Amino acid sequence: MYNILVVDDDKEIVGAIEIYLKKEGYNILKAYNGEEALDIVNNNEIHLIILDIMMPKKDGLETLEEIRKSKTIPVILLSAKSEDYDKIGGLNSGADDYITKPFNPLELIARVNSSLRRYVSFGSLKKEEENNKKIYKTGGLEVDDDTKKVLVDGKEVKLTATEFNILKFLLANKGKVYSIPEIYENVWKEEGFGAENIIAVHIRHIREKIEINPKEPRYLKVIWGVGYKIEDIK
Amino acid sequence: MENLRTSKALKFVSYILLPVFVLLIGLSIFHLAFLDEYGNNGATKFIDTEMFANEYVYYITDNIANANDQKNNGATMFMQLEDVDGNEIYYLNRDYMYNYYNGINEYIDFIIIDEETNAIYTNMRISDYNSEIENMKNATKYWNYNNGNIETNIEYINNDNIKYNSTFQYAVLDEDGEASYVVSKEIIGYTIYSRYNPDRTGGLTNYKIVEGIYEFCLNNKSLPLYVLPISVIFTFAIAIYLCWAIGHEKGKDEIKLGYIDKIPYEILFLAWAVLLTIFASVAIQCISIANYITLIFAVLLYFICYIICAVTAVSTIKRLKARKFIKSFLTYKVGKWCFDKLKKLFDTLDEKTTENKRLFWYYLLFIIVSVMLACLFYTGIAIILLIGFWVWSYYKLKKYIIGQEKIKNALKDIYEGKNDVKLNEEELTGVLKEMSVYVNDIASGFSNAIQESLKSERLKTELITNVSHDIKTPLTSIINYVDLLKKENIQDEKVKEYIKILDQKSQRLKKLTEDLVEASKVSSGNVKLNIESIDIKELFNQTIGEFKDRFEQKDLKIEVQMPSEDIKIKADSRYLYRIIENLFSNITKYALDSSRVYIDVVENNKYINISIKNISKDKLNISADELMQRFVRGDKSRYTEGSGLGLSIAKSLTELQGGKFDIIIDGDLFKVEIDWPEI
Repeated sequence: MYNILVVDDDKEIVGAIEIYLKKEGYNILKAYNGEEALDIVNNNEIHLIILDIMMPKKDGLETLEEIRKSKTIPVILLSAKSEDYDKIGGLNSGADDYITKPFNPLELIARVNSSLRRYVSFGSLKKEEENNKKIYKTGGLEVDDDTKKVLVDGKEVKLTATEFNILKFLLANKGKVYSIPEIYENVWKEEGFGAENIIAVHIRHIREKIEINPKEPRYLKVIWGVGYKIEDIK
Repeated sequence: MENLRTSKALKFVSYILLPVFVLLIGLSIFHLAFLDEYGNNGATKFIDTEMFANEYVYYITDNIANANDQKNNGATMFMQLEDVDGNEIYYLNRDYMYNYYNGINEYIDFIIIDEETNAIYTNMRISDYNSEIENMKNATKYWNYNNGNIETNIEYINNDNIKYNSTFQYAVLDEDGEASYVVSKEIIGYTIYSRYNPDRTGGLTNYKIVEGIYEFCLNNKSLPLYVLPISVIFTFAIAIYLCWAIGHEKGKDEIKLGYIDKIPYEILFLAWAVLLTIFASVAIQCISIANYITLIFAVLLYFICYIICAVTAVSTIKRLKARKFIKSFLTYKVGKWCFDKLKKLFDTLDEKTTENKRLFWYYLLFIIVSVMLACLFYTGIAIILLIGFWVWSYYKLKKYIIGQEKIKNALKDIYEGKNDVKLNEEELTGVLKEMSVYVNDIASGFSNAIQESLKSERLKTELITNVSHDIKTPLTSIINYVDLLKKENIQDEKVKEYIKILDQKSQRLKKLTEDLVEASKVSSGNVKLNIESIDIKELFNQTIGEFKDRFEQKDLKIEVQMPSEDIKIKADSRYLYRIIENLFSNITKYALDSSRVYIDVVENNKYINISIKNISKDKLNISADELMQRFVRGDKSRYTEGSGLGLSIAKSLTELQGGKFDIIIDGDLFKVEIDWPEI
């Protein structure tokens, strides 16, 4: 049973999140401002915090800074601010994830699960195996070329053979941008054949399978008019 | 009266009759003159007139001159025939005859005997000249000249008035064969037999026509006495009528001027004079030659001359009536132009503007000093001073021109939208300084206005962003609780339906707030662009890949047409995608099911032209401009999904990145044209 702290000055939102996460089997603690949140963090064992930014008394970012002074627990920021610089600022202050209001409950649950998995069950567990096996990895995404398995935050994802090959290629060359013809040539080992938007379709399918929100991908990024890449996440 | 003045028919008749009466006057005067000269002896036949006698004698003496020429100078007006009775016979050359005066010669026989050589010069081809000489005296008119004695029945040759009855004229030729002078000589040493022979040449010859005219005159002596006064009266009447009526037209108070009336009068006059001279001289030639064709020609030419005169006269009258006669002179125009220019020049001196006065005094100073120094030019110092003065003047002028240039450039900058224009006022002097102060004021005014408007745009965007934050928080609760409600086990279908509507509308509200913030940001230019090189083909492949399922759901076929080579453009890739995404998303929403969507990319001289065409599902009774405004949607009902901001955002984003975004609606065809500057 994991303890999740939900902090938001809007009681109804906290209430709704409580309902969703309780269904998932988590134990929920609630706070309505930054100070209350810090109190709870200091006095309880908390595994994950969902933190609103705009709150009275102490706002989300200040609270996050306080928490980060002593704890490494995952923090998901939840905010109505949807600008890029808001998200970047939030993540740079030490948050693990950023969700904008109004959010999709399923996405929230998926992100909570993912963060928790990484925090709790990941870590040192599989490190020794990596030496023996052909494993490509970035952040919570793992591709095992031997067993042809794809794991996202430790959870297996089913990909078709083509999708697997594309993903493996991009992951093996993570951080680098490949255009559609380049991907075609490297995966199919032959010249591109013109109407290559099939590759784009495959990549969308991959994104839908491995990303929590395919519209805002964490791993498989689209650079429009240039190509695709797998983000290199430590 | 006014009808008379404007009647076209009357004018036409007048124009036709005028030359006829003038011609009649001319003919009557000729008639009278002819009668005065030759009609006083009561002759009714031409051969009884003095004119006939003159021409007769002229022809004979001329041939004596020819014979003389042939004998002494070797001329060949006669050709030698076989001798008759031991006498040399010379026959008048036919070629010569036809070139010769085309008249009485056709009716006169002559035999001229050179008394010295007994040679015979004649225009008759007969075998027995002696008996023919005897016959000659029986002719109606004859003229013999023998040993200083004249035998004739032509009245006027008997008369002492005819001086040349016993002389002939011939030309003395110089070395080049040109006639150098003419000599009159007594007819000594020649015997002449000649007669008038009406049967010599048959038919109606030119001479017969002339003779006919002369005899008509002789037989109708009183005719001109009627015709002349009548013609004169009619001519004057018509001329006065025309002068009064010319230029007036029905329903018009003013005199209407045509093309001809706009020709400068000097040119018209010159043309008239030249043409009239040419045609009239040709006509006179025709009359003097006097055969059928030339006479007909003469009449024709007479009418042409009339037309030339009439046109000139009409134009002159019109100009006079319109009070534009003087003005229509080129000389007047040129003179006036010169006068105006001079007047303007002097008027400017009267103007009160200081710059003008300054310019005048400067210029006067320049001229006076230049002239003074030029007068002293023979001293070396004056040359140096003059050159120095010129250099100084040039320097002054140049400084002024440079100052002007600076102000012009500053104004151009302002015009082109730069608002950081600042002129250094101290560098300039006089009126330029004043101007620079104004320019600086305008520039700072513009700059302030732009700053103000930018600030207000930013405030607006901030306001919208803040409001949207405030909306989003309660919206989050609404969406979440609606979602929770959906998951409750509700049996009531009505409640389920209500929840469904709540779900849809809250989702739409969510989309609306997001788009609203974006639209306001984009339209105020409040976005940071991250420009990089983008491959259009790659972009479309990626985007079509993204939308493939949604296109297939609607059974839309995508027809892409692109050049084979790579096309690169400079753009912010995310915003460029946003443009295409908005357009594609519209297509999935509004395109007719199972239709085709055309995407064409064309490289077009500095621009990449992207056009996306589809067929609308619903009737598009809305203009393209309206569609691009915010919150406007094709269906107007606002029932379907979407915020109505998509096209507005796409347009703003395109323009923000330097492109051009156009919508063309043609029936159900919906077409988007994007022009993107090429790298």
